[in-house]
Amino acid sequence: MNALAAVLSRRLPEGQVVEGFRAEQWAVCDRVPQAVVFPESESEVAEVMRLATQEGWTVVPAGKGTWLHGGQPPGAVDVVLSTMRMDRITLYEPGDLTVTAEGGIGLDLLARRCGEHGQWLPLDPPGPRKGTLAATVSTASSGPLAYHHGSPKDHVLGVTLVTGDGRVLELGGRVVKNVAGFDVLKLTIGSWGTLGVLTSITTRLHPQPPADRTVLFRGEAAELVALARAIATAPAPLAALEMLLPGERERSGGPVSLLAVRILEAPEATDEICRIVTDTAGASAFRQMDGRASADLFRNVEALESGAELVVRLSLLPSQLETLRQYACTLRDLADPDEGWGTRVAAHVQNGILRVIMSRMARGEGWIDRAAEVIERVRSGLEAEGGSLTLSRGPCELVSAVGAWGDVGPAAPLMKTLKRELDPAGVLSPGRLGFL
Amino acid sequence: MSAALTSEVTADLQAIVGEQWVITDPVRLLAYESDGLTAYRRPPGAVVLPADTDDVSQVMACLAHAEVPVVPRGAGTGLSGGALAGPDAVIVATPRMNRIVHVDPENRLALLQPGVINADLTEAARPHGLYYAPDPSSQSACTIGGNVAENAGGPHCLKYGVTSRYVTGLTVVLYDGEVLRLGGLGRDSAGYDLTGVFIGSEGCFGIATEIEVRLLPIPQATRTLLVMFDQLEDAGEAVSAIVARGLLPAALEIIDRETIQAVEASIFAAGYPVDVEAALVIEFDGIEAGLDFEAEEAERCCWEKGAREVRRARSEEERLALWQGRKKAFGAFGRVAPDLLVQDATVPRTRLPEVLRAITEIGHRYGLRLANVFHAGDGNLHPNILFDRSDADELARVEQASREIMAVCVEAGGTITGEHGVGLDKRGYMRMVHSRDVLEVMRATKKAFDPWGGMNPGKVLP
Repeated sequence: MNALAAVLSRRLPEGQVVEGFRAEQWAVCDRVPQAVVFPESESEVAEVMRLATQEGWTVVPAGKGTWLHGGQPPGAVDVVLSTMRMDRITLYEPGDLTVTAEGGIGLDLLARRCGEHGQWLPLDPPGPRKGTLAATVSTASSGPLAYHHGSPKDHVLGVTLVTGDGRVLELGGRVVKNVAGFDVLKLTIGSWGTLGVLTSITTRLHPQPPADRTVLFRGEAAELVALARAIATAPAPLAALEMLLPGERERSGGPVSLLAVRILEAPEATDEICRIVTDTAGASAFRQMDGRASADLFRNVEALESGAELVVRLSLLPSQLETLRQYACTLRDLADPDEGWGTRVAAHVQNGILRVIMSRMARGEGWIDRAAEVIERVRSGLEAEGGSLTLSRGPCELVSAVGAWGDVGPAAPLMKTLKRELDPAGVLSPGRLGFL
Repeated sequence: MSAALTSEVTADLQAIVGEQWVITDPVRLLAYESDGLTAYRRPPGAVVLPADTDDVSQVMACLAHAEVPVVPRGAGTGLSGGALAGPDAVIVATPRMNRIVHVDPENRLALLQPGVINADLTEAARPHGLYYAPDPSSQSACTIGGNVAENAGGPHCLKYGVTSRYVTGLTVVLYDGEVLRLGGLGRDSAGYDLTGVFIGSEGCFGIATEIEVRLLPIPQATRTLLVMFDQLEDAGEAVSAIVARGLLPAALEIIDRETIQAVEASIFAAGYPVDVEAALVIEFDGIEAGLDFEAEEAERCCWEKGAREVRRARSEEERLALWQGRKKAFGAFGRVAPDLLVQDATVPRTRLPEVLRAITEIGHRYGLRLANVFHAGDGNLHPNILFDRSDADELARVEQASREIMAVCVEAGGTITGEHGVGLDKRGYMRMVHSRDVLEVMRATKKAFDPWGGMNPGKVLP
């Protein structure tokens, strides 16, 4: 056992520390930690953090490990701290439409428990459903439902955060309206484990929708962009509006692009919204999917990034969807044409977000440099128009070279000050958010 | 901070914004001596009225250089004393910054200056079939800048959420005059959510000078019910039953007997029966189809919980009439008692009946007149204590009762303020809900934005 793991083993109950080859599957990007710890309580998390601050060990918080290859590779990883054993629901009063759970609870388990009471948390981030609530909040991940239902910042009411130096902070609360003091809670959402470990989270819930319907259009991509924009501006509450272009190698004949319009309302309203949508679409042919079929289609959207080597997230104003699509075409050149499914494209039409999801990148002499050059060119093009490019996932050398996120600008010193306050020794996920 | 609002500073301010936009006349300053919470009164040293971001930046740099504290102010409708400045501080007010830069129907966005009045934004969006969702009761007077500072709510945030849900980007000016652009739709911002933490910072971090907000399509239809109950608790139970049935009304508001009587005795009389213990306003909105079903379901819940009478709005006029008692409650209290203390605690919805019981008991015990009018669906209580400040004994009982009410709400898992903010008024309660460590982190967060300590000093933190 290495020295670091030995120190941790003395402080934590038996079976909570793993090292050696068993730590390899917890590599963050390509950094293998010296130890992985699985604390089972907030006080154990605090103990690890105090120790890390004292010893100067870098710690990357994790859940089930589904985001380890996302974000920017941290400068160093001594310890991965997984909260996956902290997966209990600690307070659930269905009448309050709120639930408090430990951070390591899987979204699947949470959905099951809330579903028993006809409630749900309308979050559909990319990735497997077993992924934890804390990881979802920490990465501020969301999916097609975000425009209508909100992203983690709109759902989360309170958290318990264990800071870099082991302070235990209860931020926010468990009521749906709360303006008691500065909203420090918001800093933790999307902080990628650079400010603390989320050990407990209280979130809003919603009544489960009584009906689930998807209206599916099929056509050439450029036509669908126009249709998507028309539907997005129609006066109807849509749960999601997603444009999907399957990879080159998973297409069957005919036009392959899809536009999926999801409606989650009461049955009568669903029919009416469906009518507004199809009227807006005029003569376009469509297919209607109800209940399970509709839910499954969007399950598949959640799984689109699974196994991808490269995921690039492009963003502009929603009205600029066609521009986004053209940038996506530029990026396609980076794909290996003979491996996997090719390049999938998925756009959250209402939010102006388009993901380019590549099975495998083309290799060859200087491929990283070439890819970096293309990505930087697209990024500066988007930034010039007020948009952004985020490298959600990619080969570590590439992400390190171009940065997962664009330049943060003049707010950087302020953010660094905030980081120092919650993680004085700088041990939490250093470099995971680029400059933070 | 050693303040020095000298005549040189005043002259510099005049040079930046123009002579007529700097107020120093003591009589005119009286208009700025309080906000909506009139218990606190303190005229500022001066008021500056800038026209745009650049003005604000220069004004702030000037004041920072002279080490004069700044208090931002919108329409002054706040209910926590947050916009109060002393004689050694300057109010930077936004009434001239009332321009809607554009409404963008394609992207359902609007870009505006902070002095735009909440209701005016909705008015400007209406021709495009859009509106701005957060609707604080003061929406015909309050500004969006003030809404951002307070993270304002309103009756319809049960379904639609509060201000933070709708603000997508901000331009803010810090105390030293630095201009930061935060967030913005169509962009994944790198780093921490500074937009999110700025919202609700009550003027302690900086001044928002441009605000980008999301607009929603105007709901196709609404159904509004007014339900009378002989017991306040039954109304609370009905709220729980509606939620338990999986319904999500746009609003669920309770008005108690004391409030109904105040309204009915005033020029705002709305025709509510004065002998009921509570009235519950229920509103559904959305697509026309299916709304009747939802309203009927809600009505059934009310009958099951002992409702005495249900009224349904059949027209927009009738709808406004049903809402009248709720919307005009605060105006009506004015004629009942010289002073009013508005509380704003939020509790988990299921704890409402017992908390209401406890609040009534506290009122009785201290011999005070209590009127409840509140966002029941959100568990956001507004117990109002009607009293006379000139009666020292009564004032002491009011303060004691307030503290006890807060303690009951916090004990029930709630918090001290749901939408009015802490300001000057509730600083003393902050330790009831936050640990020393959390308060320290809040202090440090303010310091990150305002290391000079010049922004709205003495507010929010105990």
